[in-house]
Amino acid sequence: MDLPGPIHEILVLFGGFVLLLGGLGVVLLTNPTFSAFSLGLVLVCISLFYILLNSYFVAVAQLLIYVGAINVLIIFAVMFVNGSEWSKDKNFWTIGDGFTSLVCITIPFSLMTTIPDTSWYGILWTTRSNQIVEQGLINNVQQIGIHLATDFYLPFELISIILLVSLIGAITMARQ
Amino acid sequence: MFLLHEYDIFWAFLIIASLIPILAFWISALLAPVREGPEKLSSYESGIEPMGGAWLQFRIRYYMFALVFVVFDVETVFLYPWAMSFDVLGISVFIEAFIFVLILVVGLVYAWRKGALEWS
Repeated sequence: MDLPGPIHEILVLFGGFVLLLGGLGVVLLTNPTFSAFSLGLVLVCISLFYILLNSYFVAVAQLLIYVGAINVLIIFAVMFVNGSEWSKDKNFWTIGDGFTSLVCITIPFSLMTTIPDTSWYGILWTTRSNQIVEQGLINNVQQIGIHLATDFYLPFELISIILLVSLIGAITMARQ
Repeated sequence: MFLLHEYDIFWAFLIIASLIPILAFWISALLAPVREGPEKLSSYESGIEPMGGAWLQFRIRYYMFALVFVVFDVETVFLYPWAMSFDVLGISVFIEAFIFVLILVVGLVYAWRKGALEWS
């Protein structure tokens, strides 16, 4: 099933449109619970983009971690807020809002100018091929696993220590 | 540059899996008679009379379960490519992953001893 160009473009446009709608929903919905669910929709759309870019493992990791775990954490955090405190603040446009919107508008424009100027082909790990990788077989996920186990074994172990630290810190903070 | 032929079965599975609940809801909406009353419109809480509103505050305890879940979720993501490339790489990688899991088991034991896994 090779999707031809037009269908691919339609899927990208659809994903981007839903992503924009979801982002607007995160900002504009007054009930923070709905904002959190809208953020989940945005993250699902980002994983759709990863699928369209043929990086399935990143898409699955995105779904598993961001939608399945981080978004659940955010919804939990919203649930801790008392329901009556939500719509108290009627003051619509403050200095903080103006500053934030200025920063948020600046970021996409600076990204739009820098992304075409950067040469993405000089990056080391996308061009250099490992000896084992060249021997054939080998799909995407296996390549990630091989790199993780040979070239990046020290960061791989450090990740577990970071996870341990975050786990212990979270338990200590939540017990107080 | 859009190759999906490796994942034909996955897409078929996804379509069937999303069709079944849609069909189930559609058929039941088609067949069931519509009669609305106050009992029918109240939220269903395992057959018990609902108490209070649905928007209530959670206790902070439950946040710990979510945090522990996030940590082990990330661990799973890192172990999956390891498991996929295991037959290529052999026994030394097994020791690496063993250390990886061992460090996280320390965290699990800590969470257990501190009572973070008790649901009450």
